[in-house]
Amino acid sequence: MELKRILHVEDDPSIQAVTRLALEMVGGFEVLSCSSGPQALAQVDAFAPDLILLDVMMPGMDGPQTLAGLREHPALADVPVAFMTAKVHPGEIEHLRGLGAQEVIIKPFDPMQLAQQVRLIWQNSRR
Amino acid sequence: MMTARPKDEVRDALRALNEQFAERLRRELPALAAQAERLSGDMAGERRAIELDDLRSRLHRLAGAAGSFGQPALGREAWRLEQRIARWLEASEPAEAGFGELAEAMRELARKDLSGAGDTAPVPSLEAEPAGQCIYLMESDPQACRLISQTLRTFGYQVQACHDLDGLEALFRQQPPDALVLALHACDALTRVKALQAGLERPLPLMVIGERDDFDIQLAAVRAGAEGFFTRPLDLTRLESRLARSLERQQGEPYRVLIVDDDADLTLRYSLVLRGARMEVQALDEPVRLFETLHAFNPEVVLLDLNMPGCSGLELAQMIRLHDDWLRIPIIYLSVETDASRQMEALVKAGDDFITKPISDSALVSAVFSHAQRARALSAALTRDGLTGLLTHASIKEQLLVEVDRARRSGRPACVVMLDIDRFKQVNDSHGHAAGDSVIRALANLLRQRLRRVDSLGRYGGEEFLAVLPDCSATQALRIFDHIRERFAELTFSAGGASFQATLSAGICETNPALDAGTLLEQADRALYAAKHGGRNQVCVAD
Repeated sequence: MELKRILHVEDDPSIQAVTRLALEMVGGFEVLSCSSGPQALAQVDAFAPDLILLDVMMPGMDGPQTLAGLREHPALADVPVAFMTAKVHPGEIEHLRGLGAQEVIIKPFDPMQLAQQVRLIWQNSRR
Repeated sequence: MMTARPKDEVRDALRALNEQFAERLRRELPALAAQAERLSGDMAGERRAIELDDLRSRLHRLAGAAGSFGQPALGREAWRLEQRIARWLEASEPAEAGFGELAEAMRELARKDLSGAGDTAPVPSLEAEPAGQCIYLMESDPQACRLISQTLRTFGYQVQACHDLDGLEALFRQQPPDALVLALHACDALTRVKALQAGLERPLPLMVIGERDDFDIQLAAVRAGAEGFFTRPLDLTRLESRLARSLERQQGEPYRVLIVDDDADLTLRYSLVLRGARMEVQALDEPVRLFETLHAFNPEVVLLDLNMPGCSGLELAQMIRLHDDWLRIPIIYLSVETDASRQMEALVKAGDDFITKPISDSALVSAVFSHAQRARALSAALTRDGLTGLLTHASIKEQLLVEVDRARRSGRPACVVMLDIDRFKQVNDSHGHAAGDSVIRALANLLRQRLRRVDSLGRYGGEEFLAVLPDCSATQALRIFDHIRERFAELTFSAGGASFQATLSAGICETNPALDAGTLLEQADRALYAAKHGGRNQVCVAD
C-alpha cells in the first residue's frame, strides 16, 4: 500500500495553499484541505485519508482537540497524524507526540521538501 | 492519482503564491502595527492581556508561515517579537515602557520591503536601515557614558544607558537586551550581573570595562559570562569589534548539518532535535547522491551512519576526504559500535568523532554544535582578513565572480563598490600605525553594521575595501554609501593624546550583462578615482 490521500486541516488560507501545492505538485498526492476541526471531522470518513496533517493553533477547536475527535472514528485507528506548528520548545514537541501524533512538523517548512518529509512519516508509521 | 510536476512548473507556482503572500502582508502588517500601538494607549489591564495574547498568536502564525513564502528574515523577526510578548504574558505584568518599543518594532516590520518574495532566496530590504541590536550600557561617569553611547550609536546600535546596577536591573525587567557593556569597579557587582544572566535562556554577550585588570576581577568577569575585558583609556573601536563578533556568534546564520543515514526514523528524530537547536538540517538516505548534496547544501558538519547497506560510513568518509574541497569538513560517525578499537580505526582512516546510539538530545546537540563552531571559526580564519574580519582579497574577488554570475542569471542588477580611506598615509605618518589600524577597523565595523547579510565585503588592499551588493541599483547603493560616508566622518579617533577624524571616498558600478567582473572592477575603480579627484569625501557612480 502506498501513501495517496492526505487530509490537511489548517485555518490559514496561505498556508493551506502552499501546503497543497507542496503535496500535490511536488509529491503527487491527493489532498483534501479543511479550514477547521469540525469540517475535518465531518468529511474525514468520506475522504478516507491515508495520513492526516493537523495545524496546532486554530480558533475554536484546536489541533489537539481535533485529534481527540478523529480518534473516535474507528476506521481511522491506523491513520498516522502529524501536527504542524511554528517553532516551539523541545518540551512541547514531546507533549504533542504524547497526545498521539506520529510526528511534529515545524513551520516554516520548505515547500520543496515537505512531500518527502510526509512520505518519511508515513513510512515510519507502517513499520 | 496525480503525478509530481517538473520542478520549474512548481517553482513558478510557488513564486505566484509568494507574491500573493507578500500582498497579504502589505495589508496585515500595518494592521498589526496599529494593534501594537493601541496597547500603549489607555486600556484596562484585562483587556490589554487579551489584546496582547491575540497579537502574540498573530505573530506566532506569521513566524510559522513567512519562511515557507520566501520571507525567512521576517519570520525570524516575528518569532522574536512573539517571544518578547510571551515573556510579558508569563510575568503577567506587561512592562508599560516596552509597548512603545514593541509598536515601533511592528512598524519597522510593516515597512520591510517584501518585493524579494518572488524569488526563492529573498534579499532583505536595502532602503530601511537595519534595526540596530539593543545594547544596555552601564557607566557611572556621565562624560564617558555619553562618548560610548554616541560611538555605539554611530555604529548602528540602539543604546540604553544607566548609571548603576539598580538601573540595569530595572531595564532588564522590561526586556533583556542583545548585549551588555558594563563599566565596573568591584567584583561583587559582577556577582549580580551573573545572577541576571542566570535568569536568561542563554547568557548575553557581555563586555566589561574594568577600573583595574587584576586576576580577581577578570575571573569574576568570566564567571559572569564576559567575552571581552577592557581597561581605560578605552579603545572604543576594539570594544565595538569585539561586541560585533560576539553578537555575530550568538545570532549568526544557523549551522548547516547533513545527516546520511538509511534509518528514516532516526534521521527524522535527529533532524527535529537539531532544528530545535536552530540548526539547518538536510537528510540523505541514498549515499549515491552524497556529492551532489554536499555541493548544493554546503554543510558545515556531516553525520554519517557507520553501517548502511551498499557502502559503509567509513568508506563514504574516505570518499569525502579524497576531495580538497571537503578536507576540512568535520565528519561525525553515528553508530551502535561500542568497540573502542574499531572506533579508533574508523577515526584514523577518516572522520573526527563518534556518536554512539542511542544518544540523548542534548548530547547530540552539543557534539554537533562544538564541531560546527570550530569548523566555522577555522574557515573564517582562512578566508578572513586578520585585522578587520572581512573577506580577504582572494575571497572577495571570488565572491565578486559568484555575484556577477548570479546577477546575470536573475536579471536583477547588483553593485560593485570600491572604497578607500582619504589621505590614509597622513593618518599613519602623524598618528602612528596603531591609529591607522584602528581607523581601518572602524570603517570595517561600520560597513558590516550598515550592509545586509547577503552583501559581500572584503578588505581589498591596505586601506581599500570592496563591497558587492546583490539585488541593488546604483541609485540605492549611492544612497547607502553616502550615508556610510557621513557616519564615518562623524567618528572621532584618538591617538597619543590627540584626536582626529577621517573621511572616505567610494566608486560605484552597477552590473550589466555585457560587462564581466574584471571590467566592473575597473569601472568602480575609475569612479573611485573620480571621487578622489573631485575633492575626496564623496561617492561617485560610474557612467
